[in-house]
Amino acid sequence: MEGWTIPWIACSLVIGAPVLLLATLGLALLLETGISERMISRLVQFSVLTGLTGAVAMLVWMLATGERDVPFELGNWVSIPQQHFHFRLKFLFDRLSIPFAIMTYLLVGTIGAFADKYLHREPGFRRFFMCYSLFLLGMILSTLAGTIETLFAGWELVGLSSALLVAFFQERPAPVRNGLRVWTVYRIADAAFIVAAVSLHHLTGEGDFDALTGYGAWPTGQTTMSAGQALFVGSLLLVAAAGKSGLVPFSGWLPRAMEGPTPSSAVFYGALSVHLGAFLLLRVSPILERSPLLCGLVVGFGLATAAVGALSARTQTDIKSALAFACVTQVGIITAEIGLGFRYLALCHIIGHASLRTLQMLRAPSILRDYHTLENAIGGRLAPSSRIWQRMACSRIGTSLYRLGFERGGLDASLDRWIVRPFLKLLTACDGWERRWTDFLSGGGSRESDQVRPAPQPLEELL
Amino acid sequence: MTTVLDVEQPSTESDPLTDRLEALRAIIEHAAHLLPAQGPITAFVHHNTLHAFEHLPFETAVVQAAKVFGCHPFLSEEHYRRELERDRIRESDLEAVLREDLGPAADDPLLGVTRLDLRMTMLRCPVRTAPAAELRWLVAEADALRRFRSAATPQMRSRMIQDTRRWVMREVRSKSAPRPGDACRPVWLPDLFREFGGAAEDRWSDEAWESFTLSTLWRLCVEGVRDVRSFAEPHIEPVRHRDVLLEAAGVDADLEVHETLIRFCAAFVDQGFAPWPLPGREFGLLDAFVELHSGGPSVSFNWMADVRRDLQDIRRQGRSPLESIDDSLRRLGVRDDERPDFIRATLLALRGWAGMIQQLETRSDRAARPLPRGSLVGFLAIRLLLDLHAARHLARSHLGRDVDLRTLRSELRLSLATASGPAAESRAFQMFQVAQFVGWKPAELAGLTKSDWSLLLQEVESFSSLARRRVMHLAFERRYRLRALDAISLRAAQKPAERVTPQFQAVFCIDEREESLRRSLEELCPSVETFSVAGFFGVAMYYRGAGDAHDIPLCPVIIRPQHWVREEVVESLEDEHRRRAQQRRLLGQASHHLHVGSRTFTVGALLTTLFGPLASVPLIARVLAPRLTGQLRRRAAQVVQPPPRTRLRLERRAEQPGPTGDHVGYSVEEMATIGERVLRDMGLTRHFARLIFLIGHGSNSLNNPHKAAYDCGACAGSAGGPNARALAKLLNDPGVRKRLAERDVPIPAETLFVGGWHNTCDDALQFFDTESIAPARRSELLDALSVLESACDQNAHERCRRFLSAPLDLTFEEARRHVQERAEDLAQTRPECGHATNALCIVARRSRTRGLFLDRRAFLQSYDPTRDSPDAPILTRILQAVIPVCAGINLEYYFSFVDPIGYGCGTKLPHNVASLLGVMDGPSSDLRTGLPWQMVEIHEPVRLSFVIETTPETLLRVLDANPALKQLCVHRWAYVSTLDPSSGRIHDYRDGRFEPYVPQSQELPAADTSAEWYRGWRDHLGFALIRDALHPVRPADIETDRRGA
Repeated sequence: MEGWTIPWIACSLVIGAPVLLLATLGLALLLETGISERMISRLVQFSVLTGLTGAVAMLVWMLATGERDVPFELGNWVSIPQQHFHFRLKFLFDRLSIPFAIMTYLLVGTIGAFADKYLHREPGFRRFFMCYSLFLLGMILSTLAGTIETLFAGWELVGLSSALLVAFFQERPAPVRNGLRVWTVYRIADAAFIVAAVSLHHLTGEGDFDALTGYGAWPTGQTTMSAGQALFVGSLLLVAAAGKSGLVPFSGWLPRAMEGPTPSSAVFYGALSVHLGAFLLLRVSPILERSPLLCGLVVGFGLATAAVGALSARTQTDIKSALAFACVTQVGIITAEIGLGFRYLALCHIIGHASLRTLQMLRAPSILRDYHTLENAIGGRLAPSSRIWQRMACSRIGTSLYRLGFERGGLDASLDRWIVRPFLKLLTACDGWERRWTDFLSGGGSRESDQVRPAPQPLEELL
Repeated sequence: MTTVLDVEQPSTESDPLTDRLEALRAIIEHAAHLLPAQGPITAFVHHNTLHAFEHLPFETAVVQAAKVFGCHPFLSEEHYRRELERDRIRESDLEAVLREDLGPAADDPLLGVTRLDLRMTMLRCPVRTAPAAELRWLVAEADALRRFRSAATPQMRSRMIQDTRRWVMREVRSKSAPRPGDACRPVWLPDLFREFGGAAEDRWSDEAWESFTLSTLWRLCVEGVRDVRSFAEPHIEPVRHRDVLLEAAGVDADLEVHETLIRFCAAFVDQGFAPWPLPGREFGLLDAFVELHSGGPSVSFNWMADVRRDLQDIRRQGRSPLESIDDSLRRLGVRDDERPDFIRATLLALRGWAGMIQQLETRSDRAARPLPRGSLVGFLAIRLLLDLHAARHLARSHLGRDVDLRTLRSELRLSLATASGPAAESRAFQMFQVAQFVGWKPAELAGLTKSDWSLLLQEVESFSSLARRRVMHLAFERRYRLRALDAISLRAAQKPAERVTPQFQAVFCIDEREESLRRSLEELCPSVETFSVAGFFGVAMYYRGAGDAHDIPLCPVIIRPQHWVREEVVESLEDEHRRRAQQRRLLGQASHHLHVGSRTFTVGALLTTLFGPLASVPLIARVLAPRLTGQLRRRAAQVVQPPPRTRLRLERRAEQPGPTGDHVGYSVEEMATIGERVLRDMGLTRHFARLIFLIGHGSNSLNNPHKAAYDCGACAGSAGGPNARALAKLLNDPGVRKRLAERDVPIPAETLFVGGWHNTCDDALQFFDTESIAPARRSELLDALSVLESACDQNAHERCRRFLSAPLDLTFEEARRHVQERAEDLAQTRPECGHATNALCIVARRSRTRGLFLDRRAFLQSYDPTRDSPDAPILTRILQAVIPVCAGINLEYYFSFVDPIGYGCGTKLPHNVASLLGVMDGPSSDLRTGLPWQMVEIHEPVRLSFVIETTPETLLRVLDANPALKQLCVHRWAYVSTLDPSSGRIHDYRDGRFEPYVPQSQELPAADTSAEWYRGWRDHLGFALIRDALHPVRPADIETDRRGA
């Protein structure tokens, strides 16, 4: 086993660095040590560099030895044999996870250095980096996950930190509302994910990707599931991926996520967490192969997303929403590529898209200057629209297409109308029955909260 | 049928309607004055945020505006109290302000103290206010009734306890019934006494006595305030349906309305960002909205279906926006008399967008795509329609019944009025605390009658939080003013230096950021003389550089330029220039396509897959090594930039000025007029040096939508380099000099003017046309340039003390590198501090202020009163520009600091550039106007103090002749003082006349160099004399000094 010391060290660096960062930052904040901005930024630098070194070392080792599939077992953490339940921590280094992990470290590290200056003197500086380290750990856990429960753990951390960062400016109502919305969509995705995981356990008795994706290194694994099982589990995973990656019909959350500080929007929604759904589909690609119908579904969802995204991106008038829909478009195309079986293409596309979009997002506030420079270079005003559109704009179809893009494909509104409202109505009705029942039992008004008016306080100092 | 009616009674039918609509239009126009007057931020113009209130005195205006906008008029009490703690405000300042307010009434007695004492105590000690629920908790659970408030002094505390102890013993122990004339004994007193342990009172602990005293006091206060009418200002009634609904049901109708409206407004005012423009934009706001929403099917909020029906009605009946507004108001049940208030509140609910629409409509010259007239009316029409349906829908779903919108407000207001509890407890709590601070003993309070209580309450409540903040603010300003005026009068008392011929002269902008550069220059090279004029250097022009696409106006906004100036590449390089322009065009088009393409389907997919990973290189490089990457980028860009050798086309060949061909430029006569005027303005008509630098300024930074706000204010938010270059060129012109000599401004033949600009962000200096200077003069020029460079290093160093991320022990060179990095850093939200901390404006000879450390807080305008004629034409034209511009900058900073959310645009971090003309918070919010917090963070919100070197009589005459200036000064939007040209005595302007100012201090601290004075200090610094810069020295003397050393 002597040859295994290098990968073991590398693996512990890759995983250990974000764990350590989260633990140190978390403890420092919990104990109210008043940790300084400089200290935080050093910690972040150190752990990102350590993790990155580990990942690169692993890559070099794998290239040198020709290993393609290196698993690391950390044993069962929870085990309930009667229920056939175990929580097994296992990490997997292969051609999918290594590039993803390196990309994560590079982008997150760059953003860390950026945010250190960008958020200088911001009251939420520490809170930001707390979410940041949570996010880093979540990303690394999910990319390197070797079992579905590990992936889920990482996936949850990413979701939690993302929602908290959307609501970063918690003193204003809009970020909190949109953060809640993102969180809700994530919960739906999580629910689908967990149902898929449970069914997988039932079908195969374990949560290893081996069972899910068959045996053999990515992307050539073969699954042992039947086509029907694959379709069922696969569809649930597709819903999970759709929620996380902003596919149709959930695309509306992505532009809403632009509430946080620019760097967090850039790295989280522009580059990393938005690709997590696609990553999941890549991870389970062997079951896609099993069921052509499932592949068709994936392609369909992907293309529909790309169409809505492309249409909406053209009508956006602010830079961040435009970039968000551009992102939706490309993620849709990536999903379609996965459905069509182009794994490596999809992987390249993800890496290229993440890098480019992060740069664009970070430079978003430069848009005025960029346009000014471009106008000077061209020697006149920029013509925004293509000739085809100019011809089409006056027609009925033109207006209809514009309206569709303007209303962002009507996705959010339809979700609100067909899902949220019926759901709320049902719950309100339940609440009404309960109130009637408790009123009856207590023989009068049973709820004190009914008396409290939800009045906002006016500016106190002006009184 | 309608036609028949029209024919029968044409006049009576139509007239009332037109009148009504005209009245409506007038109301809208009136309300529109309150909208933010900020145009597209690509050309940021600082102006008084409360310009619409300038007809009122400052202190009244801010309070009124606070009510209209829901914004803070002053800082919080807490903030001022912190300033009081660190001696930035002194008690003497508070007392002086109070005495001036109260006059003789200050010494009226009130229950053992004077009115002044009471107010001083209330200013010193924080009076807590809390909502009723929290209050009840404070009293019942927390230690409000156990411990004195910590702000009450220990002496006060023990005196009160002792007194209460004696009183209660007397009252409880005396068996007799209270005699008339005695302090009355509250009926509950014996019970309370028993609760605390009764008879064994000598064994009561100190804590028990403290608690007993407070409990007595609390009960007395609760009883005392009962049934006394309130003296606090009444609560403002909500006007809009949305406000009432929000208060009654806790739902915000504006949420959904704004989502629709913001998206639509952004698309309508878009200056060319969206690849697909809004269809039907040319029909106007309302029609475009009708076009978009009344057409085919769409999925949106469910109440939008109702809106769509109305829109179809509007289209079918061809209703005008005004008619639609009138109709909506009627359906909303808005009475004619409340229309002005209602419309005002409705417009202000989304004031950023509404204001931008108004700006694009009225200042069509300032935007690439202006809006047609009447757009704001269209906006209001849409807004009211959306409001109407959103309110109806929300009322139905949250009140559980169909409502009549016309009566909704009165119904809900009625239920709200009954629901809101009495504020008696919070009044009692206020009195309870004040009594502790002032030392009103329970025994005294027990003896008060109802009318006494009423008087006492009136006294306390009329000195409300708002009134306290006002007093504290005036004291805050007073302290700075006293220090400034003292420093200036002490400096003026110094014996004047003898006149020497300077080694060179340098002229800067009046901008307060140039103050430190001038000081550094004078320190490094005492034989230098510096001047300052408004940074457009008298050359008001439309300018287009060799590589620019558009003519940019380079002059204050109030001036509309009449002349056009172009930069041209010298003949020998014209081919090269053409070739490079072609390359730039190709590159520009390619990058524009890629820029837009990266957000589309196909191009985006190809681009991201093939070249995406390459983006990580600039990404990482720019974040980790911004300065290096910036240098590389610039070097690469040089290949296609216009060739470096250019010149200005300044002299006009044709008769009339115009933008093309021979019409470009000025005639010699016009140039001479400009030259004469600028030179006379700054008092430079004799003693010309051999070299005179004219230095404009601008600021370069990255990732900064508010970049223009850091540029030169006198150039309407652009860099002033071209103006300096133009003035230098025209003053070097022999023809101009000949004419100037005829007008008694003889410029010696050997004098050479050199134009340039100072980048206030990275402290770089760039000079123009130096290659054409005769070789014989080169060494002289190089010497001067090296001094200027060192001054820039020193200036960067002084600036760095304000940046927390720059260590305090930087050397001058390191400081320079630090500021260079800031300018190139994408992550830097504070590239520089802009105009923050500005507080002073001195219009005087430099000899009056030379060597005075002003901490980059003073606008400096050169003006020599001895060379002005008695009716002061020079002073008049200087003040006409300087007072509005500087006060505008100062007041914008004031309001953005005092209420960064309401008046400013909040933190930069979530800003999102919308429609290429402004910023929103996140993906969808109101357009944010004002200055971002990062820009004003270190500001001290004090009104600008003008100190003008002239006699009070002259200034009174000037003000009388200029009502606009007088209004600003009389209403105290800025303070004005005069500095007597001969005696150096200061007079202060107050209520329309000047009073002599008596300096408070006798001595000014001194240091050898500026660095010695500021080193190691981050906060605002006091005034000081800098010995090295104090007096001009002959160049020859320096030589001897150097040799001696």
